[in-house]
Amino acid sequence: MHTLISQFWQLSFSGIAQGFIYVLISLGYTMVYGVLRMINFANSEIFMVGTFATVVMTRDVLNHPANSGDLHGFTLIFTMVACLIASMLASGGIAMLVELIAYRRLRSRGTNRLAPLISAIGISIVISESVSLMTAGRAVPAPEVLHKTSLVTLLGANIRVDQLMVVIVAPLMFFFLQYFVNNTRLGKGIRAVSMNEETAKLMGINLNRVISATFLIGGLMTGAAAFFFETVYESTKFNIGFSLGLAAFTAAVLGGIGNIRGAFFGGLFLGLLETYASAVLGSQWKSITVFVVLIVVLLFRPNGLFGEAVQQTRV
Amino acid sequence: MNKKMKIALGVVAASLVMSSALPTSAQAAFSNPKNPKLYIGYQGPLTGDNKQTGIDEIAGVQFALSLYNAAHPGYQIGLKEIDDQGSGTGAGVVAPGTAKDKSIVAIVGPAFSGASVASFPYYRAAHLPMISPSATKVTLTDPTVKSDFGGPYFHRLPSKDDKQGPSLAHLAIKGVTAPAVYVVNDQSSYGVGLDGYVQKALAASAGVTVVGKDSVDGTNTTLDFSPVISKITAGKANVVIYSGYYAQAAGFVKQLRNAGYKGIFASGDGTYDPGFITDAGTAAEGARLTASSAVFQDAGKAITDKFTKLIGTAPGTYATEDYDATNIILSCITAGSHTRDKIQDCINKGSFKGLMGNAISFDANGDVAGTGFINSFLVKGGIIVSTGQIK
Repeated sequence: MHTLISQFWQLSFSGIAQGFIYVLISLGYTMVYGVLRMINFANSEIFMVGTFATVVMTRDVLNHPANSGDLHGFTLIFTMVACLIASMLASGGIAMLVELIAYRRLRSRGTNRLAPLISAIGISIVISESVSLMTAGRAVPAPEVLHKTSLVTLLGANIRVDQLMVVIVAPLMFFFLQYFVNNTRLGKGIRAVSMNEETAKLMGINLNRVISATFLIGGLMTGAAAFFFETVYESTKFNIGFSLGLAAFTAAVLGGIGNIRGAFFGGLFLGLLETYASAVLGSQWKSITVFVVLIVVLLFRPNGLFGEAVQQTRV
Repeated sequence: MNKKMKIALGVVAASLVMSSALPTSAQAAFSNPKNPKLYIGYQGPLTGDNKQTGIDEIAGVQFALSLYNAAHPGYQIGLKEIDDQGSGTGAGVVAPGTAKDKSIVAIVGPAFSGASVASFPYYRAAHLPMISPSATKVTLTDPTVKSDFGGPYFHRLPSKDDKQGPSLAHLAIKGVTAPAVYVVNDQSSYGVGLDGYVQKALAASAGVTVVGKDSVDGTNTTLDFSPVISKITAGKANVVIYSGYYAQAAGFVKQLRNAGYKGIFASGDGTYDPGFITDAGTAAEGARLTASSAVFQDAGKAITDKFTKLIGTAPGTYATEDYDATNIILSCITAGSHTRDKIQDCINKGSFKGLMGNAISFDANGDVAGTGFINSFLVKGGIIVSTGQIK
């Protein structure tokens, strides 16, 4: 408890930075659920592919191998933007591929809800095991691009440049997404399908296009999360998506799955909760605390924290 | 182009992009002789997070075998690789098959303690003798702890963690004024054990404060350590001792240094591996390590050059112990022991000579008779350099 009090702001800042990474990944789950009422179990691998895209972009495409020093000025900004775009495109692309292979055909044949679930799990195993073979199952270090300088000390918390970037850019992306869903033609289409698929179809909405776009948007957000993760932690592995994916899925359920505002608060709540729990009870108690809290929340609000504010705010 | 082809092309293109960019594993240049009479097994992590340890170790076995096969044209010995990924679960998968394969007369390994414990029931039932170059958990040779004890078939060359723990504690706080120590273990069979001995030694040292301890999930090598690091900073620790394996140690030290920690980082033989530096980069610099391992290069330039020429890589971690373990088995074979039982008898009763000229014989529980030693190491300029034996 002493640690929590003396380190409160430091822990809160780290927790929020971690939480925003969860927010972006959980959008990948929540968008798809909102439209299809199905869990995209391949989202964890969509994230993993994004982390590798960042590594490949820095190390191989821009030829900046591990331990070759930090970058500065224009090269730094160029490299980071290039990595962010690479991660988003790789994850977005894989997400669309997943939809095409694991969902579309099964949906057009009118199967039950279980078949796409299994095919998504299947495709997720194929992706992670393929990467495992290519990397011999080893952790792959990402080159350090951004030097982790501490900018200022605020209320005793070290504000590190990499975490600050996450805390600023991630919410911008989130609000852009929210604006997009609420105000654009395609966004309205997505919401219409989310509310009632049949009616939306009768209104002339191209269902396949909307679903494909939903996967793409979820993938883009997950890819951005992958880039942020690599910038902060500088290491990835074939199975990295599992624990992070599970955490983000938990965040989505906590906030109310299918609701993008829910993903926002669920992600932040989870990031803070994990950090506080590890600090007070010790790291070995982190998962226990998280799931106990999740179960308690669901007992009182079965649809998650924001699940009740249904239709309108849904994707 | 129809849709199916588009998908197929996309998958192929994506995998090409990724495979071209990712590293491939380097295997030593050793090939089994034609029609070997007998096989020696090497058991350790050849894939997975900690595979660098296994690759370095098997090279020592391969070197000893190459020399032996060249010197004994009439009696060729082969090598079988047994990949347990360094974990108990991995060992549970490969050990039953190894026990049944009667062409394997003895094993160099298992490399890791958890994997050793999981293998013992199978090897004991099959009378398969083992000599481990690197498993250091104390209870592996303690007959009073039935669940972990590997005797009479298990033998090991390194000193135990009850010797390593105090050495690691003393090395970590050496030269530090008012040491404030934070200890972390990885929840593995080895890490928890070593951590216990480290803490005991710290408690007995005058002027040392233990400002905190933590236990993290060692199977997650990409863990977010920020809560642990906050506590390290809050407690104003100037020494961090990590008991676990190098893959996670690398991630930990990286995050620790990124958070601005300037103190000592120390770890045991689980981190004594060049893979630690590959993964952690400059963050590894200055790390203090202990291991009950003799540096192969100390045996002289001639044999080191020969190793590099025959195997294709310079001798790495535990090369000395693997070389010695293999030679003990080979000398038994030369003396006429060609079955598991006879080799077991020969290992238990014989006395042998190590690469460094040291005498090796095993006591009743499988440890090397005598007091043993722990060496200290420092990461300096991107390599692990020996800083001498800890007294």
